Amino acid sequence: MKKWITVLLVLLLVVSLTACGDQEIQGEDPVVSEEQNSDRLFEGTTLELLVAYGGAENAFDAFMEATGIEIEWMSMSTGAALSKLQAEDGKTTADVWFGGGVDSYLNARDLGYLEPYKSPELSAINPQYIDEDGYFAGLALVPAGFIVNEDLLEELGLEAPKTWQDLTDPKYKGEIIMADPAISGTQYAIVSGTIQELGEDEAWSYFQELDKNIDFYAKGGGEPQQKVAAGEFAIGVTAIHGRTFNIGETSPTREVFAEDFIPWTPAPVAIFKNTDNLEAAKALVDWFLSREGQEILKEADARIMARDDVDPPEEMSGLDRSKLLDFDLERMGREREDILNEWEELIGDR
Amino acid sequence: METGKAIWRERRVKSLLSSGFLIEKAIVLLIVVFILLFILYPIFMVISTSVYNRGVLSFENYSDLLSPFNLGLIRNSVFVATLSSLLGTFFAFCVALHVFFQKRKWGELIYRSLMITMISPPFISAIALIMLFGRRGLITHGILGLSANPYGWQGIVLLQTLSQISLASIMLISALNSIDSRLIQASRDLGANPTQTVFRVILPSIFPAIMSVLFLFFTMNMADFGTPIIIGGNFNVLAAEAYLKTFSAHDIGKAATLSVLLIPPAIVAFYFYRKNIGKINTLSEGARVLKGAELNFRLPLVIKAFIGGVTGAFFFCMILKYGIIFLAATTTNVSGELVFTWNHIEAFHYRYVDALYRSLHMSIIAGLLSSVIGILLSYYTHRLKLPLMKSVEFIASLPYIIPGLFFGLGYIVAFHNEPLLLTGTMAILVLNCTFRHISVGNKAANAAFENIDSKLEMAARDLGTSRIGVLFNVIFPLLKSSFLVSFINTFTKSMTTVGPIIFLATPRNMVSSVLMFHDITNGRYGLGAVVASLLIFITVSVNLVAIKFLSKEKEEKPVTDKFLGKERGEKHVAGAKGFN
Repeated sequence: MKKWITVLLVLLLVVSLTACGDQEIQGEDPVVSEEQNSDRLFEGTTLELLVAYGGAENAFDAFMEATGIEIEWMSMSTGAALSKLQAEDGKTTADVWFGGGVDSYLNARDLGYLEPYKSPELSAINPQYIDEDGYFAGLALVPAGFIVNEDLLEELGLEAPKTWQDLTDPKYKGEIIMADPAISGTQYAIVSGTIQELGEDEAWSYFQELDKNIDFYAKGGGEPQQKVAAGEFAIGVTAIHGRTFNIGETSPTREVFAEDFIPWTPAPVAIFKNTDNLEAAKALVDWFLSREGQEILKEADARIMARDDVDPPEEMSGLDRSKLLDFDLERMGREREDILNEWEELIGDR
Repeated sequence: METGKAIWRERRVKSLLSSGFLIEKAIVLLIVVFILLFILYPIFMVISTSVYNRGVLSFENYSDLLSPFNLGLIRNSVFVATLSSLLGTFFAFCVALHVFFQKRKWGELIYRSLMITMISPPFISAIALIMLFGRRGLITHGILGLSANPYGWQGIVLLQTLSQISLASIMLISALNSIDSRLIQASRDLGANPTQTVFRVILPSIFPAIMSVLFLFFTMNMADFGTPIIIGGNFNVLAAEAYLKTFSAHDIGKAATLSVLLIPPAIVAFYFYRKNIGKINTLSEGARVLKGAELNFRLPLVIKAFIGGVTGAFFFCMILKYGIIFLAATTTNVSGELVFTWNHIEAFHYRYVDALYRSLHMSIIAGLLSSVIGILLSYYTHRLKLPLMKSVEFIASLPYIIPGLFFGLGYIVAFHNEPLLLTGTMAILVLNCTFRHISVGNKAANAAFENIDSKLEMAARDLGTSRIGVLFNVIFPLLKSSFLVSFINTFTKSMTTVGPIIFLATPRNMVSSVLMFHDITNGRYGLGAVVASLLIFITVSVNLVAIKFLSKEKEEKPVTDKFLGKERGEKHVAGAKGFN
C-alpha cells in the first residue's frame, strides 16, 4: 500500500519537474557569439517556421549547413496559420512564414502581424511577386492547371482537356474535382485570376457552367491531386509544383497547362512581427532569395523561381510563360470577401 | 449517536489548527483554481472572441447565425447524427446480447476485442473506406470491377455507426450484466419463452442504458468533423463547417460563433444522457447477477443467428480497417496495383521519433494528472460534501461535452499573454489533455466511492490518522482500479487526439497524432499509416497490460465485480469523447 503511494508521489514530482523543465527550455535563447565570420553570424540560433511549401524541407539542411541556423518547422495550411495568428493576436512563437496562399499574407499584413523587410536580393526579383512595402516577398511562382489520370480517361474514352473552356464540356460531368475557393487559397487565386482575365460577367457565367460538371468541391487545395492520383476523379484543377510531378512517378497522372491562360500565385516568405530572432530571420529570407538558395529550393521542389537569373526547372518546360496572367495581387486580396460571397450566392454550397 | 457527533465536532475544531488541515485546504483551493483557470476561462475566452471584434462589443456575428445556409447545416447534422446513433445503438445492442449469452471464455474474448477496437486514430477509418470502396477501391474496383461513389451522407452514417459500436456494446454489456437475474428467472418460471423474456424483461431493464448510449452518441456524432470532411462529398454538416471556417474564413470571430452553435445540442443531449445513467444506478441496487450463459436460456435460432451475424460482420469490418492501415504503411499504389515498399517506414525519421516521444510524454503526464485531480475532485465533492463543489464538478465535465476544436481554440485565446504565456510549450498540451479528460477519473471515482464504506475512513480517523493521512493511506489505495482505468482512458485518448491540440502544436512541441494529421491532409497516406500503426500498437499494448491488471484486481475482490462492470461502462463513456 505504502509502496504504491510512494510511486505515485515520485511520479507527481517528476511530472511537475518535467513540466517546469519544458518551460525553461522555451525561454532559453542561444547566445550568439560575436567572433564569427559574417556568413555564420547567427550560428546556433533556432528559427521556427510555419511551412506551406511542399518539399521545402529538402532545402532546409543545406540552409542549416550554410548558415549554422537551426530550423524547426511544421507544415500548416496558410488559412489555418492565419486563424491561429488571430486567436493569439499575432503573438506567435514562430519566426518565419514560408510559402502558401498569398491572400492570407495580405490579410496578416493588414492585421499587423508581419514585419516589413526589404532584402537586398529583391533587386533580382520581378516586382510583381513582391509586396511594395516589403511585408512579404515571392520565393517562387506557382502556376495552376490540370492534373489528369490517364488510365481513368482511357477507361472513360475521354481526352484530356486542353483549355479552361474545355472543362465545361458536358462529357466531363462528374469527373472533375476542384477545391472550394473559400477554403483553398490557391483555388481562390485561380478564381480571382480568371475574373481578372475574363472580366466579372464572363468569369461568373463560366464558373456557373463549370459547376454543372462538378459533384462536390474539395475541402483543401491538396485534395484534387490526391483524388486524381487515387483514381477517384479523372481531372483535378490544382496548383502545379514539384509534388504534383512526383505523384506522376507512382500514378498514371500527367499535368496539363491550359492553352488559353495560366493563373498563378507567388509562394511568399514573410517574417512575423513577434519574432525574437529578427536578424536571423532576415538572414533566412536573404538566403532563400539569393541565387544559391533559389537553386537549392528549386532542386527541393520543382517550381519557377522568383529570381529572373534562375532557369525554370525541366518539369516546367511545357509551360508557356507568355500565357501567364497579368495578375494584380492587391486586387485579389481586396476583393476576397466580395468574390467569396458571390461564389456562395451563385455556386452555393456544394 | 449524539456523543459521536460531538466527538466529531470537537475533532473538527482541533484539526482546524493542524498543519494537515492547511495542506488539505491548499489542495482543495488548488483544484478549484485549476479547474476555473484551465476549463472555464478558455471556454469563456472563445465565446468572448465571437462577440468582441477587435475590442468592440458586437453581436454582428450572431445576426446571420440562423441563416438558411446554417439552418441547412443544422438539419444535415441532426439527420446524420440521429440516423447513425440509432443504427449504432441497434447494432451495439445485437453485439451486447450476443456477448451476454456466450460462454464465459468466448464472451471475455469478444469483450476484450471490443476494448481494443475502440482504439482508432481519427481520420483513419475514412481513409480506409476510400481505399477499399472508393472509385478505385481495392474491393469495389479491384475485386468487383465496379466504380462506386462513397461520398455523401451514406458514407458518414456508415463510418459513424461502425465507429461507435465498440464503445456502445461495452456500455450495454455492462448494463446487461447488472440486470437482477432473479427477474429473468422469474419471467421464465412464470412461463414466458426466451423471446418474450428478451423483449419484456431484458429490453425494458436496460432501456435507460440504451437511451443514454443513444444520447451520448448523438452528441459525439454532432461534434464529429473528421468523417464528414473526408467522406461527406457535397453533404455538409455543422461541425465540419465550423472546423473549415476556423481554418479558412480569415475571420476567427465567425468561426468561434459557429462553434458556439454546436454547444446547445450537446448540452441537451448530455442532460438526457446523465438522466438515464442515473436511472441505471438505481435499478441495479441490490441486484443479484448471473451471466447470461448461466441462465439456461435458449434464444430462438433466428435471433441467435442475427445477433451472431451482426457481431461477425462488425469484427470483419474491423479486421478490414486495421488490415488496410497496416497495408497502407507498407505498400504504394502503382497504377492500381499494390507494391511492397520500405519508403514510408524509412521516411519515419528523427522528427517523427521526437514527436512520438513527446506524445508518450504528454499522454503519460496527462493520464496521471487527470486521474489524480479527478479522484480528488470526487473525494471532496461527494465524500466530504464541501459546499459549491458540485458546481465545480459540473464545470469539470464541460470539456467532455463541447467539441474538441473549440476547447483547443480556447487555450490559444486564453494563454498567449504574460503571465500565462503557454503557447508553444509542452505544458499547454499536457494541460489541455489533462483537463479535457478530467471527468473520466472523476466519474470512475464517484462510482467507486459508492462501494467503499465510509466507516473505513472514520475508523482510520479514530485510530489517529490525520485527514490528509486518510486521503493518502486509505482512499488512494482503495481507488487503485479507478485510477488505472482513468489513466488508461486519458492516455489512449491523448495519444490519438487531434482536434483539441491541432492549434496548440508548434514545431517545438509537435506530437505524433498532429504529424499524422498533416501527412494525411497532404496526401502522404503511407507515412500517415505508419504513424497510425505505431500509435495503435503502443496504445493497444498499454491497454492490454492494464486489462491484465484490472482482471487481477477483480479476482482479488469478487464483491466489487458488479460495480466494476458498471464503472467500466461509465468510464469508457467518459473517455470516448477524445476522438474529436
